Amino acid sequence: MSDDIVNIEVDGKPVEGRKGQMIIEVTDRVGAYVPRFCYHDKLSVAANCRMCLVEVEKAPKPLPACATPIGEGMKIFTRSPYAIAAQKATMEFLLINHPLDCPICDQGGECELQDLAMGFGSDVSRYHEKKRVVKDKNIGPLVSTDMTRCIHCTRCVRFGAEINGLQELGTMGRGENVKISAFIEKSIDHEMSANIIDLCPVGALNNKPYRYSARAWEMVQRATVAPHDCVGSNLYAHVLRGTIKRIVPRGNEAINETWISDRDRFSYEGIYSVDRLETPRVKENGEWRDIDWETALDVLTTRLQASDGSKIGVLASPSSTIEEAYLISRLADHLGTANIDHRLRQQDFSDQDNDPVAPWLGLTIADLEQCDAVLVAGSNLRKETPILAHRLRKASLAGAQVCFANAEVHEYFFDVAEYLSTAGLVAELAGIAVATGGKLPPAVADLCKDLQPTASQTNVAKILAQGDSSLVLLGHVAARHPAAAAVRALAAAIGEATNSRFGFVSEGANSAGACLAGVTPHRTQGGEARGECGKNAVDMLSNDLDVLLLFGVEPGFDAPPIDAAAQHGFVVACSPYRSEALERDADLLLPIATFAETSGTFVNCEGLWQSFSGVASPVGASRPGWKVLRVLGTLLDGEGFDFESSENVRDELRTALGDIELNNAYQGSAPIVVASDGIDGGLDVPMYQVDGLVRRAEALQLTPEARRSLESSE
Amino acid sequence: MQQLRNYIKTFAMWELWQGLAVTFRNFFRPAVTILYPEEKTPQSVRFRGLHALRRYPNGEERCIACKLCEAVCPALAITIESDVSDDGTRRTTRYDIDLFKCIYCGFCEEACPVDAIVETRLHEYHMEAAGENIMTKDKLLSIGDKFDAMISADKAADAEYR
Amino acid sequence: MAEIQNFTMNFGPQHPAAHGVLRLILEMDGEVIQHADPHVGLLHRGTEKLAESKPYNQSIGYMDRLDYTSMMCNEHSYVLAIEKLLGVAPPIRAQYIRVMFDEITRLLNHLMWLGAHGLDIGAMTMFLYCFREREDLMDCYEAVSGTRMHATYYRPGGVYRDLPDSMPQYQASKWRKQKDVDRLNEVREGSLLDFIDAFTEKFPGCVDQYETLLTDNRIWKQRTVNIAVVSPERALNLGFTGPMLRGSGIEWDLRKKQPYEVYDRMDFDIPVGTNGDCYDRYLVRVEEMRQSNRIIKQCIDWLRDNPGPVMLDDHKIAPPKRVEMKDDMESLIHHFKLFTEGFSIPAGEAYAAIEHPKGEFGVYMISDGANKPYRVKIRAAGFAHLASMSEMVVGHMLADVVAVIGTQDIVFGEVDR
Repeated sequence: MSDDIVNIEVDGKPVEGRKGQMIIEVTDRVGAYVPRFCYHDKLSVAANCRMCLVEVEKAPKPLPACATPIGEGMKIFTRSPYAIAAQKATMEFLLINHPLDCPICDQGGECELQDLAMGFGSDVSRYHEKKRVVKDKNIGPLVSTDMTRCIHCTRCVRFGAEINGLQELGTMGRGENVKISAFIEKSIDHEMSANIIDLCPVGALNNKPYRYSARAWEMVQRATVAPHDCVGSNLYAHVLRGTIKRIVPRGNEAINETWISDRDRFSYEGIYSVDRLETPRVKENGEWRDIDWETALDVLTTRLQASDGSKIGVLASPSSTIEEAYLISRLADHLGTANIDHRLRQQDFSDQDNDPVAPWLGLTIADLEQCDAVLVAGSNLRKETPILAHRLRKASLAGAQVCFANAEVHEYFFDVAEYLSTAGLVAELAGIAVATGGKLPPAVADLCKDLQPTASQTNVAKILAQGDSSLVLLGHVAARHPAAAAVRALAAAIGEATNSRFGFVSEGANSAGACLAGVTPHRTQGGEARGECGKNAVDMLSNDLDVLLLFGVEPGFDAPPIDAAAQHGFVVACSPYRSEALERDADLLLPIATFAETSGTFVNCEGLWQSFSGVASPVGASRPGWKVLRVLGTLLDGEGFDFESSENVRDELRTALGDIELNNAYQGSAPIVVASDGIDGGLDVPMYQVDGLVRRAEALQLTPEARRSLESSE
Repeated sequence: MQQLRNYIKTFAMWELWQGLAVTFRNFFRPAVTILYPEEKTPQSVRFRGLHALRRYPNGEERCIACKLCEAVCPALAITIESDVSDDGTRRTTRYDIDLFKCIYCGFCEEACPVDAIVETRLHEYHMEAAGENIMTKDKLLSIGDKFDAMISADKAADAEYR
Repeated sequence: MAEIQNFTMNFGPQHPAAHGVLRLILEMDGEVIQHADPHVGLLHRGTEKLAESKPYNQSIGYMDRLDYTSMMCNEHSYVLAIEKLLGVAPPIRAQYIRVMFDEITRLLNHLMWLGAHGLDIGAMTMFLYCFREREDLMDCYEAVSGTRMHATYYRPGGVYRDLPDSMPQYQASKWRKQKDVDRLNEVREGSLLDFIDAFTEKFPGCVDQYETLLTDNRIWKQRTVNIAVVSPERALNLGFTGPMLRGSGIEWDLRKKQPYEVYDRMDFDIPVGTNGDCYDRYLVRVEEMRQSNRIIKQCIDWLRDNPGPVMLDDHKIAPPKRVEMKDDMESLIHHFKLFTEGFSIPAGEAYAAIEHPKGEFGVYMISDGANKPYRVKIRAAGFAHLASMSEMVVGHMLADVVAVIGTQDIVFGEVDR
């Protein structure tokens, strides 16, 4: 290792660096700030802004710190008069063509160009000629452009090419005429494209829905967690007078690095949708009427107390916080019902007793990058969990062989080793299982009988078997599959036979949490089996119940529609929204807060508990879900519902769970029968339809992605 | 001799008579007071009084909702909400100045890059009901419209100093 | 026979002679003061704390409101502290303007003090005369800054804008004939400097008038001579500064002893008292007015002959001119950043004191390198003076309390901050 160490001097202080490092990496580490525009530690080096010029002893000219590797004995001066003069000159050139837009530019106040002009530039301009003007491009509903402001750092271009793998923006022309542009009037379409807003050091690429609505300095930055997928990307909400104005990523190398998906970034718009339910409402003789909370809870408790426990059903969203999940399962216990579920889109519950205590990824999110052989089965990974797809892409670029098995073929921007889509999911997996050549467990032996694996299937099995760190992942489609039990058992068998890890990409932000909290008909808190198994989601929607409690669920969107034949006595919906479907189905609407307005905890796919506090003021009379459930529990004379904070709720559950270990190993031995391979297609839920918040986020609904899903559903 | 003179002065109340002479002379001097409000004292063009929002000569609002005045206001008297206007430009949807909070420091006027918010020479205003202390955008614009000639002249007169 | 007990009496905070919101708890034996306990804080606005949450420049306006009878002097100390931390000095013309307005402020303060002090102990006319002159000085304030009191005129790096070349004039009305108006406008024909010049010509005569009314007046003397005598040693130990200290015979004036700005180029004298009583302090302040007048004259002469910039030509600290800001990218960026974020000051601490009309007014400022001060401590002269209230009034009559409050020149804006 000692050969790798290079001794250099930064501003007169001796510093050690690794061989091959660029000057800027060393100066950043020791805190000698060098101004930069084009350099970004997640992107390749371009060295085209020339802002990071520093003086290096014996070099005839100032050198760009971002593109000069360190050498033994190098003496670097970041703040010498020579370096400062070089930086000042660069700054002057950059400002020559920059428009006088600061007062109307959204970047004003958080602009790298402004900051560096203050810190490193001259204070008066010597340029009095005409400035260049560039026509704006319309690149879609998410990102606004003011291309005259562009300083050609090409961060956005490199982001597309290197991070997304889909180069949506490029440079055209040379010299002063260089322009950043999308392919002729094309919208950007990648599910993580909007990260270019954060990357752009000036105001050329900006947040379109946020346009002109606030200033960086007047907003309060509050930390929160993304509620749309099981990754739990870390976010900052920028809040102005209680209203979220925008969402930006909160760097967390272990989870989302510095990126977030567009869904996480723009879904906040749904919070302020016109559909927001602002007061409790009750349906009397077919007429909806606003009532106050007290009356509403009174109506509900009367109804619940009058009902037989076994005729009460509870459906909760998998994106509810774990506090809500825990309280709702406690409430169900108190009401004496086991009819409680959060697996809203699942069809096959036959093998639920062999479910893991909670679905998890099988490894940490960061470790995905280290895998060298991966099979992703039953998943549209890019749309389900963009961050995981990005991690897999990084693994693939590092040499991993990534295979997919899914009925529908989706595009991935890296080399896919095998894409199995011809036979059904069950058949493909069974083929791979046979091809592994191992002894198959009894659960799947029947399914694999007399199968002849195809060449592709054999190849996948070989890739998995040869990998040192291989992984089998099941996605959302697998969970929704009509033969989900078989898919799961086969995938587990493949994992076992090829010595691969086995993991799930679960639905919603908190499926794992909901399972741990006992929001399942067959298990109570901590995975403890219930004496008697209650009705699952499908049964509840199609059978007659006295009271059906929907918590954050819109039947028909988040779950199958309520069966027209089902005669529910009373349907109460705790929902942030009112919708036609809810107003048709429900008898009582209770407004609850969205993720941004409540404190809570999400357990992500790697089993990490991420707590957050409410960042915005609740809209109207809506209340955090856990508070509603707490009051409801108390009104129903439940014991121990008197929590003071959501932290109390979380800690109680946490203590009750002890150190529960997540384990995906398949324990079932009973042979699994598949009635039919079923229809594999049509199991995808469009990316911008996954939950109520996203469905009401205007900008997201205008994206090409959303339009395509609309067209295909028609 | 000096002592004797002092005695005489003391008994004659000399210094009091001297003082009375000073005040008595004022009977014959022109009055320094003026008949407000019929008459007014001269006002500097730099006077910082009631605020106004100005327009361009073509009637277009000057304010572009850059919020510099809101940021620089030491008393947090200015509240602005902004949005994209119908013609796609950056405009305020709300521009409130709370006259009870305002300390008339003039920073908003200094900060404004388009000379939209100004402090005028008006200082004779009052409120009769709660809430009138909030100068809304409409009120500010109407002051700007009504006193446009005066404001323009004042600002032009002081322009070379700023 | 019943035991005679001391009588406790509240003086203020609504008493008109309490100069604002002073609440004095007086322990009386008959009409003789046994003990006086000043209660402060009724005008506390947390200026020091407020300053911690704002960019440096935004607090200048709050300094005006400390001692609201000597506005620009407060600003001066604050901007001096900032300049000390930044290591910059304003252009020489700005320094002259600052000295001139410091002295104008001193006149404003002393006139206010003289009028109120006189009124408190029975000389009604003084109040009217003093306000007559104050009016002219207020016009100077207005001409230069746009406000008659809370100027926000001094800035780190200089002053906001140069002195105007014209003065606003009286207009004829049906109540006033043109001849009358012309007479009033006589001094307003030229620039602000001409206006101030005319004032300085007239002012010594005004001071003579005040002196004729008061200095030898037997009533005035009875109320002030030998009232609240403070020995030089006690004055030093009590932390007196300014006229309070000089009245006791100690020749201490920051303008001479630690000259700031261009005071070392000024020719003026420091008056000192001999007995340390209210009368001596009165004499000292009156003489200070004459000396201030001298300084103003010298400033006018210099300013007439030496045009030039009044603000530092460094847009990292001082915003650019408006014309530049409107068509120059660098200037616009600096304008934008200075008005939103302000400038940052290198970490460090500084104490800058000036000879304020009331004594030593200092600002102690700690910067942690941010765009807001980490801590600002204001040293207000009046606070130390008020602390000696009990010592000064013990043994005097109740009516003398008013004289002592007057002689201390207490303003609660700065005491309570």
